[in-house]
Amino acid sequence: MELEGGAILFALESRTLPIVSISISTRSGSTHDPSEKEGLLRTSLRMLRRGAGKLTAAEIEETIDQLGAELSIDVGPSTMTIYAQVIARNVEPMCALIATLLSSPTVPQDELARLVRETHAEIMESRDNDRSLAERAFRRAVFHGHPYGRSTRGAHATIDRIKRNDVLSALRKHLVKGNVAIAIAGDVTVERAEQLAQKLVGALPDGARVKDPTPEPEVKRGKHLVFVDKPERTQAQVLIGGLGTSAHDEDHTALAVGNAVFGGTFTARLMKEVRSKRGWSYGASSRLGVDRRRQSFAMWTFPKASDSAPCLGLELELLQKWVDGGVTARELSSMAKYLVRSYAFDVDTASKRAHQSLDVEILGLPEDYYSGYTKRVLSTKLEDVNKAIKRRISTTDLVISVVGTAKDTFDAVRDACGELTSASVIGFDAD
Amino acid sequence: MTTRQLKPATPRAARRTTQARTAAKTSAEPALTHEASHAFGDAQIDRYRLANGLTLLLLNDASAPVVSYSTWYRVGSRHEKPGKTGLAHFFEHLMFNETEHLEAGEFDRKLEESGAESNAATWFDWTYYYEALPKESLGLAVKLESDRMAHLVLRKPQVESEREVVSNERRFRVDDDVEGAANEELYKLAFTKHPYHWPTIGWMKDIEGYTPADCRAFYKTYYAPNNATVVVVGDFAKADVLAKVKRAYAPLATAKIPTEETRREPMQKKERRLVLKKPTPTEKMLIGYRGPALGDADHAPLSLLCEVLFAGRASRLYKKMVTELELVSDLRGWVSTFRDPGLFEMYFTMREGHTTAEVSSVLEVELARVRDELVSETELDRAKARQELSTLQGLETASGKAEQIGFYETVLGDPAGVMRRLDALRAVTAEQVRAVAKSTLVKESRTVVIVLPNGGSEAS
Repeated sequence: MELEGGAILFALESRTLPIVSISISTRSGSTHDPSEKEGLLRTSLRMLRRGAGKLTAAEIEETIDQLGAELSIDVGPSTMTIYAQVIARNVEPMCALIATLLSSPTVPQDELARLVRETHAEIMESRDNDRSLAERAFRRAVFHGHPYGRSTRGAHATIDRIKRNDVLSALRKHLVKGNVAIAIAGDVTVERAEQLAQKLVGALPDGARVKDPTPEPEVKRGKHLVFVDKPERTQAQVLIGGLGTSAHDEDHTALAVGNAVFGGTFTARLMKEVRSKRGWSYGASSRLGVDRRRQSFAMWTFPKASDSAPCLGLELELLQKWVDGGVTARELSSMAKYLVRSYAFDVDTASKRAHQSLDVEILGLPEDYYSGYTKRVLSTKLEDVNKAIKRRISTTDLVISVVGTAKDTFDAVRDACGELTSASVIGFDAD
Repeated sequence: MTTRQLKPATPRAARRTTQARTAAKTSAEPALTHEASHAFGDAQIDRYRLANGLTLLLLNDASAPVVSYSTWYRVGSRHEKPGKTGLAHFFEHLMFNETEHLEAGEFDRKLEESGAESNAATWFDWTYYYEALPKESLGLAVKLESDRMAHLVLRKPQVESEREVVSNERRFRVDDDVEGAANEELYKLAFTKHPYHWPTIGWMKDIEGYTPADCRAFYKTYYAPNNATVVVVGDFAKADVLAKVKRAYAPLATAKIPTEETRREPMQKKERRLVLKKPTPTEKMLIGYRGPALGDADHAPLSLLCEVLFAGRASRLYKKMVTELELVSDLRGWVSTFRDPGLFEMYFTMREGHTTAEVSSVLEVELARVRDELVSETELDRAKARQELSTLQGLETASGKAEQIGFYETVLGDPAGVMRRLDALRAVTAEQVRAVAKSTLVKESRTVVIVLPNGGSEAS
C-alpha cells in the first residue's frame, strides 16, 4: 500500500512466533557513491546508529539490546536496507527508536572518524578471507570501470575523503519518503503495521525517488586471468565467469533453469563432475546474480593447490560443453520439478514473503517476478533454455580469478586457461 | 561425569530401559508405542518408540505446507578412536552415496525432484541428517532415511572419492583458514585425555588412512534404530507419519551400541599457551576457559555472562576494546554447548599496530570486575532479552524447530530443552553470574592460542 510522500508498505501478519521483522529499503545504493568517495553510502547508513536526537551511540546500542532487538544495515549496489527484528511486545518502542534514527541523525564528527578507522580495520581483515579476495578480484575485472565493480565498503584512500557534510547530504538525498519501501512482517496485525509504518515514514523528510544513473555493464572482451597471490595456500579459490542475466531479459527464467542444471544443486553437472567423480573440490557451483542492471555469472570451486590447474581446465571444458550442447530434456524435467516444488521454502515465513515484495518494488523487478516464477519455470521449453545459455553465456569473454600461492601454482593455472588476453598477479594485501 | 541439573521433564534413560524390557517380554507388544508428550510453547511434542529402539518425535506445525524430517544419531567425533579421527564426519558424506537399493546419485536426485533440501552436520556429540520437503513428499524422506540407516554400500570407490572431498573440506575450513586453524589448536591443547582433543573433521593423516573396513565397522556399530532419533516437524497427519515410520523402520535390526568409555579431562592446573605464525594481516588471540556441560546449572548464567561481556555493541568488551580503546576490530565469545564440560571461548582480532599483550591486560581488568562485582540489573536484562530473541529466531521455520528438538533430545535427553533453557535463563540472578565468573575465569585453567602475522605477499 502507498503511504505518505510516495513510500510503499508491505505488511504480512503471522502469529506463529512472537517476533516482528522490519525492513526499510531505499531505491539507491553504492552505485551512487562518487568514485573518489567509494563507501560513502555504507558509511552514511552506518552513521545512523552513531547518534540521533538526544541519544549517543552507546545509548542507541543499549536501547536496542534492552528491547530484545537486532538492528543491521546492508548496502548493495542498488539498494540500502535497515533491517530490524524485535520481540513482538517491544515493536512499538523499537519503531520509535528507528524513527529517531531516521529523523534526526546527528552524525557526530568524532563518531564518523571512529567509524572510518573501523572500516580501515575491516578492509585489512578481509585479507584473511580467501573467498572474499577472489570475489573482489573477479567483480573488479568483470565490471571494470562500471560502478558494479566497486566495493560497497570503499577503499583505504576513498573512505578517508568522506566528510560529515558528505554523510548528511547523502542521508538527506536518499533517505526520503519517495525513495523508500518498508516491509513489516510477523506477530503484528496489518492495521498496526500500517500505523507503525506511518510513524517511520513520518520521520523521513519529503523527497522524490532517486533515479538510478547506473549504465548497463558492458562485456569485457577476451579471456583474463587475475591471480591473487597469498603465501602458504594449500588450496585455491577459483571463480570463472562474466556477464549473466537481467531480470527483464525475456530469457531470464530459461537461463536461470539452465544454470540450475549446470551448477545449482547437489546433482548439478559441476558438482557431479568436480566433486562426486573426482573429489577435487568440497564445493562446486555456479550462480547468476540479480540486480537492477545485468549482473554476473560465476562458477566457484576450491580445489587442492596441486589440483587447481586440472580442475580449472575441467571447468572450462564443462562450460564449453554446456554452452555448445545445452542441457538435456531429462535434466530440464528433473530441474523444473525441483525448482517448482522447492519454492515452498522461499515463502515458508511471513518475513520471506514480505521481502519478495520489497525486492520487486525496490529493484524494479517485473511485477510477477516471484509470484509467477513457478508458472514460468513449468512453461520453459528445452529450446528456450539452450538458446538462452548460448546467447547469454560466453566462453571467450571470461574472467578467471584465482587466489593461491603464485610460486607454486601460477604457471600451471595460466597454462590451463588456454589462450589469454591478459594475465596479472596481485598481492592479497594490495588493497 | 556431567551433572545434569537442567532436568528433562521425562527422563529418557529410565523410560527407555522400561520400554526395552517390556518389548522383550511379549511379541504381542505394539511395534510403535506412544511414550510421552512434552509441552513445547503452545504446542506439543509427541514421543514414540519402536520395538527396535528407534525414537520418534512429532511436532505439528501447519504454518506452511512443508515438513522437516531429521535423523539424529548419538554418534559424534567423541566416539572415535585415535588414528581414526574424523570417521563420524566422514559418514556425513558417505551417507549420500550408494545403498543396496539406490545407485550413486539417486538419493539426491529423488529428493531434488520432490523439491527437498537436504544436508547433514556432525559435531563432538552427534551427527544429524535432515530433509526439508513439501508436505506431500514426506513419504520419500521416510523411505530414503530408513534405507540408508541399514543398507549403505561401503566399498573402495565410495571411500576413495569422499576421502578427497573431505580432505578439501579440511583445507577450506582449517588449513587455509586462520580462525579454523587456531580453534583446532585450542581444543588440541585444552583437552589432553577427553576426545574433544581432536577435531570433528579429523586429522589429515587419519583421513588419508580410512579403509572400507573401518567404515563398515563404524556403520555397523553406530547406525542403527536404537542409536537414532527421528524428528518430524511440519504440516502432516499424525496417523500417516506413524504408519509410514512403522512400516519403514520396524524391520531394521538393533545394534549393540558399545558403552562409551568415560575419559574425564583431568583438572588443568597451569595455563597453556601456543603461538602460531600465519599469513594474516594482524595478530589474533583465542582463549578457552574451562566451561560447563550444556546440562550443568552453570551453563545458563555463564551464557549470560558471555552476553554481558561480548554480545552486541553495548557489551562491556565491545565498548572498551572496539569503541573506546580501538584495540580490536572483532571480538566474540561463546560457551560451548556440549554434553561434557567444554570451553568458554573468547576470540580477538587485533587492529593493525596493536598487540595481544595490550588486549590481555584490558581483558584481565574486565574479567576481574565480573569476578568481584555484580553485573547491573540493566545489563542482565539486556543479556536475557538478546537470548530470548535469538532463541525465537531459531524457531522461525519447521527446520529450525526440528533442529532445536533433535539437538536437545540428543544432548540432554529432553526434546523441549530449548523451552526449559529459556526458563532457566530468565531465572538467572546477578549473584549467579558473579559466582560462575569466579569459578570459570581462572587463569591457571585457561588455554591461550596466539596467531602472529608472518609477512605479506611477494607480489605486494
